[in-house]
Amino acid sequence: MSHSAHRCGTIRNLQNDYTMYARTSRHVNREGCGPKLRKILDIFLSENPVNFGSSHSGKSFAAGLDPEEYSRSLDKAYAVACCFSSASAIRNVLGKLKEADTGISIVVSGLIEEIKKIAEEVGLKPHTVLLSLGVHGRKELLPKEKVLEITTMCGHGLVATPLVEEVAEKVKEGKLTPEQGARFLAQPCPCGIFNLDRCVELLKEQLSEISQEGGEKG
Amino acid sequence: MRIDPEKCTACAQCPDYCPVTCIHEGDGVYFMDEDECVECGVCLRDAGCPTEAIYMPEESNRYPRSIRAAFSDPAVQYPEELFPDLKQGGRGTEEMKTNDVTGNFPRGEFGMTLEFGRPGTGTRLREVEKVTTLLTSLGIRFEGSNALFFLLEEPERGVLKRELRDEKVLSIIVEFTLAEAQLETIVAALFEVLQTVDTVVSWGLVTRFEEDGSLPVTDRLEKLGLTVRPNAKVNMGMGRPIIED
Ligand code: SF4
Ligand code: SF4
Repeated sequence: MSHSAHRCGTIRNLQNDYTMYARTSRHVNREGCGPKLRKILDIFLSENPVNFGSSHSGKSFAAGLDPEEYSRSLDKAYAVACCFSSASAIRNVLGKLKEADTGISIVVSGLIEEIKKIAEEVGLKPHTVLLSLGVHGRKELLPKEKVLEITTMCGHGLVATPLVEEVAEKVKEGKLTPEQGARFLAQPCPCGIFNLDRCVELLKEQLSEISQEGGEKG
Repeated sequence: MRIDPEKCTACAQCPDYCPVTCIHEGDGVYFMDEDECVECGVCLRDAGCPTEAIYMPEESNRYPRSIRAAFSDPAVQYPEELFPDLKQGGRGTEEMKTNDVTGNFPRGEFGMTLEFGRPGTGTRLREVEKVTTLLTSLGIRFEGSNALFFLLEEPERGVLKRELRDEKVLSIIVEFTLAEAQLETIVAALFEVLQTVDTVVSWGLVTRFEEDGSLPVTDRLEKLGLTVRPNAKVNMGMGRPIIED
C-alpha cells in the first residue's frame, strides 16, 4: 500500500516528517528475511524513531507495541515501517543501512528535494519515485486542510475526522496537552507511520492560529 | 460491525472513531449503518467500549461482504479463496517499493496509481468500474499480481463482478503501467472520468529517476494541469541484486 505517499501538508510542516519502509520482494528476497528485518529494526531503533510497527503487528509503538516482542515476530513478517522527525536521523539510518548492506529495498517518504540531498550526502542513488498528484473527484467530501494534515498521517485512513476535531477542541480548551492529543490520535494507525511529533506541532499551530484570530478580532 | 443493543449504554464514546461516520444514535442506544460500514475495525479495536457491545457478526465474514474488511482493515489479509493466485504474504502490493529488485516499472514506462476513497471518504466498488472500463478501452491491461484483478469478472473489459458493485471499502487502488508516450492521452481521459466519480481519488505516478537524479515527467504533468506534491515516496536503490535499467 502506498500508505505514506499522499500526506497533506506544507513544505514547512513536512520538513521534519519522514517515514522509512523496509520491504522484501516475494520473488527475490523474502525467503528467510527475518534476521535481516531484525537488523534493520535495530538500526531504526538506534536513531530514536517517533513511531514504528507494521500492519501485521496489529498495533504501533505509539499504541504499546513492545520493540523486543516485535523484533521476535519478524520471522513471519515481510516489511518494517518506521517514522522519524528529523533529516539527521534519516541521514544516520541510511548511512548505517548502507554499511549493513542487507539487500532489502528501502523506501523513504518525505520532501523529494530533501531526500535527494540526503541521498547524495550518504552516497546513494535514488532509483524510483511515486509522485503524489493530489486529490481528485468529489473534493467537497473532504474535511478542511488542517484536519487532513493530521488524518493523512495514517495512510490507510483509520484516523477519523471527528476524532481529530474532538481532540483539537480539547487541546484548545486546555483539557489535553498537544502531546496527549497526539498520542490519542496515533492509536488507530497500526503501521506506526503516524508522526506524533508532527502532530504535536500541527496541534500547536492550530492553537496559535486560534489565538491570532482572537487577537485580530479583539 | 454491529452494536449489541442489550449491552450499549449510549455512552457516546464510539461514534467519533468511525472514519466513515456511520455510527448513529437512536432509541436510547447507538447503532451502525451497516450499509455504510466498511468493516475497518477501528471501533472494535480503539473506541474502548466500556461494555464490549461492539462485535463483528458472522455475516461480515461472508462473501461478498467479506471484501469490505479485506480492503479496509490493514490487519486482515486478503482471503485466499478470493485471491487464489495472489499469495502476497500480505495485503499491500509491492508496487514501486521493491522496484530496485523487480524492475516492474522500467525506463520508458510509467506506473499509475488511483486510490479510490482516499483520503478517508471510502468508496463503493462501482465507482472503480467507471475507470477500469475506460482504461481497458484505451488498451490498458490489469494483471494478476494486483488484488483488483480478482474483483474483475472480465479483466479485459474492466468489468467488475456484479455482486461486488455495491460493496463499500475504505480504499482500493487501481494500479497499472503505461508507455511514456501514452501519458497525455491517459491523463486527459482520466481527468474527464474523475469528474463523474462519487468519491475522492488520490492520484499517483511512478517513474524512474534519470541518471542525474532529475524527474523530467514533472514538467509534462504540470503542463497537463496536474500539481505534483513536494513530498513523495522514494525507493532509495538499496535492494540487491539491483536492476539498473
Ligand atoms: S468497522 Fe469501521 S466503518 Fe464500521 S462502524 Fe466500525 S469504525 Fe465505522
Ligand atoms: S462505546 Fe459502547 S456503550 Fe458507548 S455508545 Fe458505543 S457501543 Fe454504546
